[in-house]
Amino acid sequence: MSTSVIKLGPHQLALEEPMYFRVEVDGEIVVGLDVLAGYVHRGMEHLVMKRNFYQNITLLERLCSLCSNSHPSTFCTAVEEVAGIRIPARAEYLRAIADEIKRISSHLFNCAIIAHIIGQTALFKTVMEIREIMQDTKESIYGNRMDLAANCIGGVRYDLTPESAAYLGKQMERMKGPLDELYRTYATDQAIRTRTEGLGILSKPDAVNYAVVGPVARASGIVYDVRKKNPYGAYDRLRFEVATEQGGDVRARAMVRLREAREAVSLIEQCLADMPPGAIYADTLPEIPAGETIAKSEAPRGELIYYLKTDGTDMPVRLKWRVPSYMNWDALQVMLKGHSVADIPLIVNSIDPCISCTDR
Amino acid sequence: MEALPENDPIPPVRLYRINAGSCNGCDVELATTASVARFDVERWGCRYSESPADADIVLITGPLTVRVRDKVLRLYGEVSEPKVTVAVGVCPISGGVFRDSYAVVGPIDRYLPVDINVPGCPPHPRALGAGIAKAATLWRERCGYTQPSPELASPGNYDGDAVAPTGLRGKMRFNAAACVGCRMCEHVCAGGAIRFDETDTGLHFTLWHNSCAFCGLCSHYCPTKALSVTDEWQMSHLQEDKYRLVEQGVVSFVPCTDCGSILLPVAPELLRVAYRETSREIERLKTLCPECRQKQSIGGIRR
Amino acid sequence: MMEFKKKVSEMISLWIGEEVAVEWRIDIKGVMTGWCRLQEGTLILPAAEAVACLEGRLSMITAYLSEQAKLKGVREISFHFDLNGTTLTLSIELPLEGARIPSLTHIFRNADWNEREFMELYDIQVVGHPDPRRLFLDKSIDPAAFERLIPYSTFSNGANSKALWEKVMAQNNHTGKEIP
Repeated sequence: MSTSVIKLGPHQLALEEPMYFRVEVDGEIVVGLDVLAGYVHRGMEHLVMKRNFYQNITLLERLCSLCSNSHPSTFCTAVEEVAGIRIPARAEYLRAIADEIKRISSHLFNCAIIAHIIGQTALFKTVMEIREIMQDTKESIYGNRMDLAANCIGGVRYDLTPESAAYLGKQMERMKGPLDELYRTYATDQAIRTRTEGLGILSKPDAVNYAVVGPVARASGIVYDVRKKNPYGAYDRLRFEVATEQGGDVRARAMVRLREAREAVSLIEQCLADMPPGAIYADTLPEIPAGETIAKSEAPRGELIYYLKTDGTDMPVRLKWRVPSYMNWDALQVMLKGHSVADIPLIVNSIDPCISCTDR
Repeated sequence: MEALPENDPIPPVRLYRINAGSCNGCDVELATTASVARFDVERWGCRYSESPADADIVLITGPLTVRVRDKVLRLYGEVSEPKVTVAVGVCPISGGVFRDSYAVVGPIDRYLPVDINVPGCPPHPRALGAGIAKAATLWRERCGYTQPSPELASPGNYDGDAVAPTGLRGKMRFNAAACVGCRMCEHVCAGGAIRFDETDTGLHFTLWHNSCAFCGLCSHYCPTKALSVTDEWQMSHLQEDKYRLVEQGVVSFVPCTDCGSILLPVAPELLRVAYRETSREIERLKTLCPECRQKQSIGGIRR
Repeated sequence: MMEFKKKVSEMISLWIGEEVAVEWRIDIKGVMTGWCRLQEGTLILPAAEAVACLEGRLSMITAYLSEQAKLKGVREISFHFDLNGTTLTLSIELPLEGARIPSLTHIFRNADWNEREFMELYDIQVVGHPDPRRLFLDKSIDPAAFERLIPYSTFSNGANSKALWEKVMAQNNHTGKEIP
């Protein structure tokens, strides 16, 4: 066997962000992979030690715009845990709403990219237009289409008036038909199935071995969702099914995301129905004592974990987090092996990779 | 360059995007300007190009990380002259929230000439469109095209297009009369966009919009709401105006009515927060410095 | 729950050959976290074997260097494992100079990137790592970046901010009106 090495960058990989691959190929077939990371490394874990807790809320929201709400909300949960703050019930629901809104937008963006790579330009544009309903929703409620600025230590800093709650309800109603239709299209369209079925398989044992999380794990039959395993905020009171698939291929991952997007609509509706009135944040300027804690959440790409260590000052001694994409890169070794170079972009995008999250 | 014949059709202006280590917010929003009808750059006579060699305008996002620098500069160099360079989002303009990290070497204008800045975090697609339209106009000027640019000929020009997005978190506004000088805004600002300078005459507030993450946290923690979020989203500007994009105000010192030493005036907003209603007694006390206030209230009673 | 806690401490004790105490905390949602400090750095290897026997997953590794630990002449690493929704954190102390720990890559595949990452940020050597190259840091950045930079240095002393603000203040006067 004589192999050669090719180098692929963001343009060849159809990525929005700079990540480079060194791919070992035998002819057109992938036999090995080396992921070259760090192009979006901004030294954020160092920056957070130089900024106070308040500044870190906004800084962490700029870690990645696709899962931007997950970071400040999980960070605030950690700070609240150390400080022994119990956030108001209404704030728990408002945090869940923000997280689920972001989940829908994030999943739809990935779903659009998959269509784009397959060459289904019309479908790509359709998905992007459906996503615009979510973008308008974010803009109207939070004032920005990507970064919601929803969190503060002790709760949230946005509220829903009866009018804005009704608007959000109406927007969710508008999402149902298109999301159901998209699910049908991705499940049944022959051209999509031909390109995605059996492609980039990650078996369940491999998924366990590579420690993957989120939709990538669930598409390989691992029934694990932090919202269920490790409930936080309002999730101990919300009803939902953990979307899982057995195929472990590109198709299964897309199906999991589309079901989760639809499930998120129902979660938002439950929040709107169950949310009690009352305060949206506890004590505005709490003392943060010395301590250490773990906070976890289910970000759009899976389990997000934060470790916080404090010493009684207003800056963290250490704030470390691991994003869901972190393990998925390595799992690409398995997914890509034996497939043709032409299929690399599709398989890579099926893990919904987040480079700014990975590199920090 | 020589002016081209007037009835030549204007070729589309080709855009090329470079990610210099961004959070992907600006990039995902730029993607909507290629895929969502209402934001499509085609209306400005532009289209995206996959190759730097076939581009006229370079759009750069991200704070420029040390690791991506050489790749960014190489791609930038491959874009042929004349070109117009647009810094998209506050990161390439000032480093934004990532400034002063060991891994960040921007602002981008330390390495290449920037023509237009589009602040925002991320900027709204309409703001991106406005910046791109300005860049296209500039590029056509540089190439010597004399026909009006498409965006100027079309009814909705880029400054007042349709309705401004409602409830947008845009530029911050400062009301000096309501400021109590607690500096909480400066303390919570992740972008280091706010500073206070104390002089003999008062406390001078400056907010540089090109370093602002538009998160509104300053307003959230401001006890008197001296800082408020406006829905002004149109902020794209020429590079020469980069450092002038500020919000300023002065809280002038006033003399204590008793001893004459200078003090920060008590904002009516603070009195509303503290007392709900004011009385003549409170109004009188607020003109005194802390020492005289103490003397007159506590000390007075004792005597 | 008692059963589970007992099983965890017994398994770790069995593997490392001495009694260990795990401190358990339960939050308001009933989510449990376990915290345990091992007596020696090298014990992380058998402890990790124990976690693998419990079908645990390596979630994250946090290396850190607090001022408090520095006074004691040590640095710390915390290993966070997931036991089906319960997070178990095993912490170890290592010397400030010449810190070495065994690689966990043969037990947990995903230890690979975690170890590469803390090796470039801190002065810690991982023995037996299959591929100890840099992961995120550019080659131009000094090794053990977080240790070199923690006293403010040229990169993180705000020099860039200072230069930018000088330009802002030079072009705008103090009265809030733009200089013509």
